[in-house]
Amino acid sequence: MKERIELPQGTLDLLILRTLALEPQHGWGISERVQQMSSDVLRIQQGSLYPALHRLERRGWIRAHWGTSDNNRRAKYYELTKTGRLQLATERASWQKLTAAVAQVLDPA
Amino acid sequence: MLKDLFFRLRSVFRRETVESEMEEELRFHSEQQIGKYLKTGMSRDEARRRVRMDFGGLEQVKEECRDARGVALVETVAQDLRYGWRTLLKSPGFAAAALFTLALGIGANTAIFSVVYGLLLQPLPFRDAARLVLLHETTPKVGEVSVSYPNFQDWRAQSHTFSEMAAVTNVGFNMAGASQPENIGGLAVSPNFLSMAGIRPVIGRGFTPDEETAGTAPVLLLSYALWQSHFGGNRRVIGQTIRLDSRTVTIVGVLPRDFRWVETCDVMEPMGVWATNNDTVAVRGDRGDLTVVGRLAAGVRMEQARAEMDGIAARLARAYPEANDQCGVKLQSLRESFSGDARPSMLVLLGAAIFVLLVACANVANLFLMRGAVRAKEMALRIAIGASSGRIVRQILTESFRVALLGGLAGVGLALAGIPAMARLIPADTLAGASVGMNGAVLLFSAGLVVLSVLAFGLAPALHSARGNVHADLKEGGKTTSGGGRNRWRGLLATSEIALALILLVGAGLMMKSLYRLLAVDSGFRPERVLKMEMSLRTAQYDKDPAVIGFWQQVLERVRALPGVESAAVGTAIPLTDDHSRTDITVEGMALPKLSDYPHPDTHIVSPGYEKTLGIRVLRGRGFTDADRENAPRVALVNAIVAQRLFPGADPVGKRFTLGRLEANRAPKWLTIVGVLADTKMYGLANPARLEVYVPFRQEAAHEMVLLVKSGMEPAAQVAAIRGVVVSIDKEQPIFGIATMQEVVNASVSTRRITLILLGLFSGLALVLASIGIYGVISYSVAQRAREIGIRIALGAQRGDVLRLVLAQGGKISLAGIAIGTAASAGLTWLMAKLLYSVSAVDPATFTAVAFVLAVIAMTASYIPARRALRVDPLVALRNE
Repeated sequence: MKERIELPQGTLDLLILRTLALEPQHGWGISERVQQMSSDVLRIQQGSLYPALHRLERRGWIRAHWGTSDNNRRAKYYELTKTGRLQLATERASWQKLTAAVAQVLDPA
Repeated sequence: MLKDLFFRLRSVFRRETVESEMEEELRFHSEQQIGKYLKTGMSRDEARRRVRMDFGGLEQVKEECRDARGVALVETVAQDLRYGWRTLLKSPGFAAAALFTLALGIGANTAIFSVVYGLLLQPLPFRDAARLVLLHETTPKVGEVSVSYPNFQDWRAQSHTFSEMAAVTNVGFNMAGASQPENIGGLAVSPNFLSMAGIRPVIGRGFTPDEETAGTAPVLLLSYALWQSHFGGNRRVIGQTIRLDSRTVTIVGVLPRDFRWVETCDVMEPMGVWATNNDTVAVRGDRGDLTVVGRLAAGVRMEQARAEMDGIAARLARAYPEANDQCGVKLQSLRESFSGDARPSMLVLLGAAIFVLLVACANVANLFLMRGAVRAKEMALRIAIGASSGRIVRQILTESFRVALLGGLAGVGLALAGIPAMARLIPADTLAGASVGMNGAVLLFSAGLVVLSVLAFGLAPALHSARGNVHADLKEGGKTTSGGGRNRWRGLLATSEIALALILLVGAGLMMKSLYRLLAVDSGFRPERVLKMEMSLRTAQYDKDPAVIGFWQQVLERVRALPGVESAAVGTAIPLTDDHSRTDITVEGMALPKLSDYPHPDTHIVSPGYEKTLGIRVLRGRGFTDADRENAPRVALVNAIVAQRLFPGADPVGKRFTLGRLEANRAPKWLTIVGVLADTKMYGLANPARLEVYVPFRQEAAHEMVLLVKSGMEPAAQVAAIRGVVVSIDKEQPIFGIATMQEVVNASVSTRRITLILLGLFSGLALVLASIGIYGVISYSVAQRAREIGIRIALGAQRGDVLRLVLAQGGKISLAGIAIGTAASAGLTWLMAKLLYSVSAVDPATFTAVAFVLAVIAMTASYIPARRALRVDPLVALRNE
């Protein structure tokens, strides 16, 4: 089993937004996708995923609609809204700035 | 923002849908996950177990989702309310104790506030009343005095800081025509008074500008109350005439229902009508009963107006030194003149009532903490299955809110019952027509108190419960927990209750001592069994002095002949009022002083027997006799202060003085002093005696007199007989102001007395609540420590040791409370210094006595539960573990 890393505070929103930028997805799909994209290193706590989704929905960054899943079940799909897309861009930029800065501190040139 | 609200509201109003959607979403997730685990070869049961673990706690996730959606505020409050009703109904004892305590606190506040609102806050019924100012004249010798009419006219002509000015004077009338002759109170006003104050007659007209000058036809406005009581509210009253003082006056209008003035106003006449019958309007030195009302011009501040009026007064003093030497002007907001006297008392009482509420809140907080301890397990369980601590705080706060709301409703009910009784305690002249009762503003205040109480008693228990230790509380399995923090809180609350009760008791103690000292003051007269009744001779038959003197003489002779009457007298003044006339006097042979330095005594016109009826001691010489009549040598009496000041070291009896100043072209009428009377408190018990001179009623006619009758029996029983005497002499002559002198004494201290009664009531209430508080804390702690006490007894502790153990706790709380309360009192009592009489605001005796009483009561309250500790059976206490 691979080493897993706890998600730092505040990155969950970014990951959700990034995942939804690819295509509309239901909650379970999002957690699977994140796990898969991070080569099994990041795993979203189920307990925090849904509150986060409802919070993002309330902020208007994502919106929900009911659709049919691959295995023909009714599932609640989330997709990015226009403001959500903008938000993703901002958060991504600040994340990159942060990681670059942290890396610079850890390994000064 | 709007979208957010919409989102929240959807979550609330479509709760069913949102909930089932959430349910379905989470189920879908679980099934997907189970499917995934199954594929890895897990058994179905194992997969289910893993999914549940992944989620952590399904209910908690749901709760967090609800929070995230913002359902929380609206939805959970509603839910808590429903839940709270059930829990409240489950513990009726707790609910009743909390409700009753709060009802007392909120009730006391609501009742006091209704008076404060009526007296101090309720808008006066005038247009833009905040810019209306009352103006008086001042003299260095007397202080505030009425305004002379010529001065008023000059003020009005010269002032620019006032856009308008109007004169207002009190008048009394004898009204004939009703079943019994009546004396009614009225106002004479400058015609512009009505428009300036924004008063519109409900029917008829106001006054016209030409009704300002003397000689105008007699007209008047009726007060709404008189219109209703004497004219049945008939609208055709306009144009009708009534008989006032044997004059015929035409009714031209009716004042609005809400009109009120500092003095009673049954009728209102224009200044011109008043001037027709008062030649004093032309005399600059005559200051009768006139006040001036002015409206500040736009943008002018009170200080600017004051500065301008000071300048005008100084100019008038230079121009008319005879009448105006050293006279100034005093400006006072209309509001202040309507409620000035009662203000300090009312504010102290409002503060006291708020202290009572705080004590009540502390008690209720204690109840909640006690219940919180019992319910700790319930709370722990709720936290364990997913309630956030915010949610717990909210739940307890909503419970508190409900208790406070019910307490508030009950309190308003109590206040409704108590307000009429309290309003009756307030003397009519303090009320100045203000209505005291329940209204929107008072209810709003009560609602504010409910919110304040929730914060005061609900927050601490709520925060405390939310911080509860889930593990410990659940482990202790149903047993009531021993929370160290909770006990500290409870001790603190009991301490503050003691402190608050002490502050109130000190206040009441100081008031009681003041009143006691005041009533013990030597008033100079004896009020026992003396009746007073006033008469004013106003009809044409009394135009000539002999008729006036003859009337009083007849009344005296016939009243003295009544059975049971010991003595009777008439006089223009009675003690303890402040309505006395004064004049400069010149003592024969004295070096003529500067105009402002003439002796300026009160001058009273009295009949023989005056000093005997009122029990005033004759220090030297004699009182008046029947020999001091019209053509006899002119005589006078003086009081002790006159004797000391004007005749130091000499016997004043036989010396002469004259009323007024010496005038070049007129021979003075000398009055020979025949006796010296003891000083009497003419201006109230708390005020020093002034210079007084008395002249006999047959040598100086007075139209308005007070009849004083001392009888061997209950004085009130004489009223009918005396009325009969007056009717037999003049059947149209009204009698008014009937009271016993004891009632006059009581009325003179009534504001202090009400303050004392209410302050005493409040501090008693606080004392009871604080005793219950400390009793509760100690008995609860005894119950908690039963095991410890059991062990101690088993190990051989004596009764005394156990008692000491428990009493020490009570002692600590009460000592701390007394120390804090004493310090706080010392810092607060100066606020009531204005209400005190010859008692320091930090009177050591009062402070010590109150601290002692409180200590005794607090120790008694701890002793009762302490005795219960003695009865702890070690075997039972240990077995219960």
